[in-house]
Amino acid sequence: MNILRLRRLALAFVVWTLTVLLPGCFFTGGGYGYDDGGGYYEPYGGDYGGWGSGYHVAPFRGGDHRSTSGGGHAYKSAPASHSTPSIPSQSRSGGGVGGHDGGK
Amino acid sequence: MQSDRARHFLRQGLFAILLGVVCAVPVMAAPIQLPPIVEPASQEHHVGKLIFVELVTPDLAAAKRFYAGLFGWTFRDIQAGGTEYAEAFLGGRPIAGLIHKNLPASERRQPAWLSFFAVGDVDAAKRVALQNGAKVLFEPHNIPDRGREAVFADPQGAVFAVLASSSGDPPDVLAAPGDWIWASLITSDPDTDAAFYQSLFGYEVFELPASEGAQHLLLASHDYARASINSLPANRPNAHPYWLNYVRVEDTVNMTAKVVALGGRVLVEPWTDRHGGKVAVVADPFGAPFGLLEWPDTESKEVAK
Repeated sequence: MNILRLRRLALAFVVWTLTVLLPGCFFTGGGYGYDDGGGYYEPYGGDYGGWGSGYHVAPFRGGDHRSTSGGGHAYKSAPASHSTPSIPSQSRSGGGVGGHDGGK
Repeated sequence: MQSDRARHFLRQGLFAILLGVVCAVPVMAAPIQLPPIVEPASQEHHVGKLIFVELVTPDLAAAKRFYAGLFGWTFRDIQAGGTEYAEAFLGGRPIAGLIHKNLPASERRQPAWLSFFAVGDVDAAKRVALQNGAKVLFEPHNIPDRGREAVFADPQGAVFAVLASSSGDPPDVLAAPGDWIWASLITSDPDTDAAFYQSLFGYEVFELPASEGAQHLLLASHDYARASINSLPANRPNAHPYWLNYVRVEDTVNMTAKVVALGGRVLVEPWTDRHGGKVAVVADPFGAPFGLLEWPDTESKEVAK
């Protein structure tokens, strides 16, 4: 084996290393924000204001608060017999304030 | 003689390259290992429930100081594959993940909390999401000990993630102060988005009273309210749709002042929502928005129906 062949062999090995192994290194097991192939930031200048009077976002505490929209929606409305559910009320320690208060 | 020396030199060079690659690959390729979201693992599964949140931030140390000062969160640092990750804990339970990533000023982007909703099968969720107009931002992938996850943009562009937790889902209990209690989607087309998320998570959809020309919907599963959907405010027609997550607090006004004292800012001043407690929207020092929501233990504060 002469020097030229050895040099070619070394060069081939380096090229193979760079083309096959390294890309796999950077994208293995990665995903959202975990590697150099991604990461996620929102577009700058998000507008989170403008919530005027009557703009409610939070859940009810239970009971029936449904409005009558008249149907014709892309989604399927919950059956009329189901009242508006709330969030869980039982505390993690079990000493809650009434357990399941989502009502059906 | 010269040929032998050259051959010896090349052999050494080859060996050095090989050694370097062998050593570097495990370090660089190691998938990040994150703690399970439920410890000890449970068999509970609540499809459609917000079960985890993550924040990509350009200054991990400063973000940790802010959220520790505000909510009393503690952190455990995790490093793998060149990623700096801090798991946030409240009362010994993991409640959020913070990931460091540089944010060049030229990119004109800002941090945001990412909502992870529970699913049983991430790949099936991807198929349904794509069939209903979503885009895949990050393909389904496994995170050892955490589960399988993927990130999507819904038909209106709001970003969210799904997670099939390998340790089960957190139980359906009332969030403690400092923990995430609620999620709302503010979007340009509540009707279409409700149908989308109903297809994906099997939600029941309830129509709620809303102002003229607006829509307000509630999404529920397993008889619990999971999230709400609101129309974008009429005076913000160019805002992009987004998911917003809320932390339960005992006093929204005081906490809003604390946000400002810690370097954050107020996006929506505290106001009384229908459940009787005050709600506000704030941002951390790097612009990541989140909500503050009072949830009184009794209904005595309820003022609006």
